[in-house]
Amino acid sequence: MSNQASTKPFAERAAVALRDTFLQEALTIATTKFIGLRKDSFAGFPQGEALRDRARAIKEATLQRLDDYLERLADNVERLGGHVHWATTGDEARETILRLCRDRRVKMAVKSKSMATEEIELNDALEQAGVVPVETDLGEYIIQLAHEKPSHIIAPAIHKTKGQVADLFSREVGQRLPADPEVLTAVARKELRQKFLQADMGITGANFAVADTGTIVLVTNEGNGRMVTSLPRIHVAVMGIEKVIPSMTDLMVFLAILARSATGQKLSVYTTLVRGPRQAREVEGPEEFHLILMDNGRSRQIAGELREALYCLRCGACLNVCPVYRQIGGHAYGHTYPGPIGILLTAMLKGDRAVKELAHASSLCGACHEVCPVRIDIPRMLIELRHRLDRERIAPLAERLVFKTFRRLLTSPALFRLSVALGRVAQRPFVRNGRLRSLPLVFAKWTRTRDLPPVATQTFTQRWKGLR
Amino acid sequence: MATRAEFLERIRREVRRTPGLFPASAAERPPRPAEARAAVRRQMAERWPEALERFRQEFERVNGLFHRAAGLEEVAGVIRDLAREKDAHELITWASAELGLDLRGSLESQGLSIVAAPADGRDDARGRYREAAARAPIGVTGADFALAETGTLILLSGPGRPHSTSLLPDTHVAIFGKDRLLETLEQVGIMLEALHLDAARSMSGSVVSFITGPSRTADIELTLTRGVHGPKEVHAIFVEAR
Amino acid sequence: MTHPIRASLLVTCLVDLFYPEVGVAMVTLLRGLGVTVDFPPSQTCCGLPLFNSGYQDEAARVARHVVPIFSASEHVVVPSGSCAWMIKKEYPGLLRDDPALGKDAEALADRTHELSQFLVKVLGVTHVKTAFRGRVTYHDSCHLLRGLGESQSSRTLLSNLEGVELVELPGADECCGFGGSFSVRLPEVSTSILGKKIANIEKTGAGCVVACDAGCLMQMSGGLSRKGSPVRALHLAQLLYSEGGSAPLPTPPPEASAGKAGGRTRAA
Repeated sequence: MSNQASTKPFAERAAVALRDTFLQEALTIATTKFIGLRKDSFAGFPQGEALRDRARAIKEATLQRLDDYLERLADNVERLGGHVHWATTGDEARETILRLCRDRRVKMAVKSKSMATEEIELNDALEQAGVVPVETDLGEYIIQLAHEKPSHIIAPAIHKTKGQVADLFSREVGQRLPADPEVLTAVARKELRQKFLQADMGITGANFAVADTGTIVLVTNEGNGRMVTSLPRIHVAVMGIEKVIPSMTDLMVFLAILARSATGQKLSVYTTLVRGPRQAREVEGPEEFHLILMDNGRSRQIAGELREALYCLRCGACLNVCPVYRQIGGHAYGHTYPGPIGILLTAMLKGDRAVKELAHASSLCGACHEVCPVRIDIPRMLIELRHRLDRERIAPLAERLVFKTFRRLLTSPALFRLSVALGRVAQRPFVRNGRLRSLPLVFAKWTRTRDLPPVATQTFTQRWKGLR
Repeated sequence: MATRAEFLERIRREVRRTPGLFPASAAERPPRPAEARAAVRRQMAERWPEALERFRQEFERVNGLFHRAAGLEEVAGVIRDLAREKDAHELITWASAELGLDLRGSLESQGLSIVAAPADGRDDARGRYREAAARAPIGVTGADFALAETGTLILLSGPGRPHSTSLLPDTHVAIFGKDRLLETLEQVGIMLEALHLDAARSMSGSVVSFITGPSRTADIELTLTRGVHGPKEVHAIFVEAR
Repeated sequence: MTHPIRASLLVTCLVDLFYPEVGVAMVTLLRGLGVTVDFPPSQTCCGLPLFNSGYQDEAARVARHVVPIFSASEHVVVPSGSCAWMIKKEYPGLLRDDPALGKDAEALADRTHELSQFLVKVLGVTHVKTAFRGRVTYHDSCHLLRGLGESQSSRTLLSNLEGVELVELPGADECCGFGGSFSVRLPEVSTSILGKKIANIEKTGAGCVVACDAGCLMQMSGGLSRKGSPVRALHLAQLLYSEGGSAPLPTPPPEASAGKAGGRTRAA
C-alpha cells in the first residue's frame, strides 16, 4: 500500500512528494483547474454567499439537536422497511458489514466512492473475509487496482498518469491497452457493468441523510452510485452521524453549493435520493436496505474544540486551494482524509497524537476558510490543535522551552534588546555581502534554500533617536 | 455494538454539554406543502415559456440534446430517427401509463421492439425487464420535473417506472410537457416536501433521481469523458401538446 | 482639521530588527502627510509567532505587555497585515477574561490599523509620490487579504503612482509559503510554495514586488536573492513618499544583484 509512507515522519513523506515531478505537475494542473471552475461558478451565482451562510446555519442547528435528528432518521428508515445499525466505533461498523455478508452469503460487493468506508478500511476486511470488493468510481477503481489509497477526496487518482492507468487496466483485462482516457474509460465501463449485475451487495456512503423522510442522498457524476443502490439485492450505506440534515428544504440549500464548491458544476450529474428498500410493486431496487450510523470519535467533538469540522461536506475545495496540499498531494498526509480539513478529521478520529506533525502542515494562509462552502474556520482549529499539543505535552520539550523562553524576551524589552545585540555579534562570521547565506543549527532550515537579511547594524529602535 | 438507546444517550449527553457555536435554525419548511405546491404550479403555468428556454440552455450546457415535438407522432419520429442513427432495434420504456403515451403503435411498425416496464414487481416480469434493460441501447422515460436553473431532469421511481430505464442504456430519452417545468431548486424542495406527505400515505417509489446531463468522469488526467457508467447521451423531448 | 492626527508606530519585530528602513520610510511618509508620529520604545513583538504555534497562554502574556504601551495612542499604525490582524482580531479574545485589560484590548483593536488601510481609509489619501520608476507587482499578504479583508488600499495607492505601472501578479492571493514557524518547520514545502510565487513574479516582468508584510518580504526576497534574480521585494512604505516629506530612497540591495536591479530602481 502506498500508505506504507505513514510510518515515516511527515517531513520525509512530503519531501518524497516534492521530488515526484509527475505528481507536482498533476497537482498544479488539477488544483488550478478546480480553483478556476469553483471561482467561475460562484461568480455567476450572486445568491451563493447567502446560501453558504444558510448551509452553515443548518449544520450548526442540526448539531444542536443531533440526537433528535438521528432518532427521526432511524424511525423513518425503519418505517420504510430498512434496518438501522448503531456503530460506536469503526470496528463495529466494519463488523456489521462483515456479519451481513456472512449471513447473506455475499460473494461480491460493489462500492460507490465513500470516504466513510475508506475511514474504516473496509476493503481489506472484506477481502480477508472472502468477499470481493469492487470499487466502481473510476478513480477509486484505478487506485484499487494499484493497491493504493485516494489522494484527493473527490479525485482519488489525480496522482496517476494515463500511462500508469493503461498498465493497470491492461493487466486486469489481459490485453495491451493504449494510454487513451476515452478507451480506458470504455474498458472500465464494460468491466464494471458486469460486476454491477453480478454483485450481491452494494455499499455506499451518504452525502446527506434527510431525517424527515429517511432518505439517503448520493451525489456522483458517473452513475455508479445509482447502479450500486439499485442492482444488487442488498444495499448498505455507511455514514458518519454528522451527515444527517433535517429536511428536503435543507437539502436543496446544500445541493446548490456542493457541486459548485467541488467541481464548479451547478449540480453533479446524478443526485440520487434513496428511501429504504424496493417498495411494493416496484420492478427493481434492493430487497434489503441497511443504514450504518457511525460515530467513530465524532460525538466527542460535538462539545469539543473541533466541532466545526463536523460541518464538513467533503467537497475537497480546501484541498485545491491549500498551498501545502498543492505541493505534496494527499498521500503525504498519511491518513484517510488529506488536506487542511483532513488534519482536523484525523485528529477527531485518531486523537491528537496522530497529528503531532500534521498540525503544523499549514502556513495558516486562510485560503481553506475562504472557500469552504460552510465556512469552517480551519486555521483557527489548527491553532487550537497546536495549543493542545503544548498543553498535553505532546509537542517536543525543546520546542516548548524555546517558545516559553522567547515569550520571556518579548515581555522584557531590556532582555529583548540584549539578545538582539548578541544576535548581531553572533551573526558576524556568517554575513556575506549583506546577506546571510548559510547558518548553522536550526537557522540552516531557512538558509539552505533562502537568504536571510542580517540583524541591522542599527535597529529601528536605535534609528528612532535620530528621527525624533 | 451499542443499542440504539445507548448510542443516542451518548449523543444526547454531548449535545447537552454545549449551547453550540451560535444561535442557528434549519431552513424553514413550507408550513403547508400542498398549498405551496399549488402556488408553484400556478406560478409556473404563467412562467413556463421562460423556464423552458432556460432549461434548454442549461441542459445543452451540460451536453444534453434538446428536442421539441408538437405531439405524439413527432415524439415517435424523434425516437425513430435516434434508433436509426444508433442502429438500435430494441427500446426499453417506462410502462405506458407512466409515460403518458403509448409508443408501441408508431414504433413497432418501424421494426423496433419495445419492452415496457411491468406495472407491478412480480419476479418473472422483473427478471425479463432486467435482461432487456441490460441489453437495450435506448431507454425512454418521462420526467416528473424539469429544473430550469440547472438543466436537470428529475425522475421518481415507482411501479412501472424503474430507474434502470434511465441508467443502463447508452442513450436515455426523457419526454415531458410544460406542466413539469420548475425554475429553482427551492421549488424542487417544495415539490419534494409535498411529495413526502403524499408518499407517507401511499408509500410509493423508493428513489428520486436528479439527472443533469450524460454520465461523466474526469478521473484520468482530468480528461472529461462521457458515459462512464450511465448513459453517454441524454435527450429531452419537450411535448407541446401536453 | 482641528488638530493634527497623531499616530503611534508599532513597527513589528521584523521591521525593527531586519528592515529598519521600512520603519524610517513610514515615519517620513506619515510626517509628510501631516501626521504626528511617535514610537513607544518598550515595544518588542506582538506575539503572533507564539499564538500561531499554539502557545496561547504565552501570547496572552505578550498581549498584556503590549496593550498598556499603546493605551494613550490615538491611532496605532502597523506596517504588517499579520501583526495588525493579531492585535485587531486576536488580542480581544486572548484578554477577554482579563478584568484589567480586556476592555483596553478591544479599544486598541479598534484604533489599530495596517499601514495601507490607515493611509486610504483613515487619512483618505489615495495619491502619493514615488521615487521608483517602472513596473511593479503586488502580492497580497494572507492575513491582510483574508484576515482583514483588505485587497484594495495598496492597489489604489500603487496604481495612482506617477511613473509606475502596476501589473497584477498571477496568483497574487496565494500564500508565499512563509507562515512564520512553518517556514522552518517544513522548509522544503515552504520553499516549494515560494518557487511558484517567484515564477509568477518573474512572469509579470516587474522590477519590484510590493507587499505589506515583512514576513512575506523576508520569504520572497530570500528566494529572489538566492536565485540571483534582479527583482526586489519591497514594502509598500519604501515605495511611497508624500509631497511634504523627503523621498525615502530604497536602500540598494547590498550585493552583486544590485547592479542588475539598479537600472530599474534608481531613485529620482
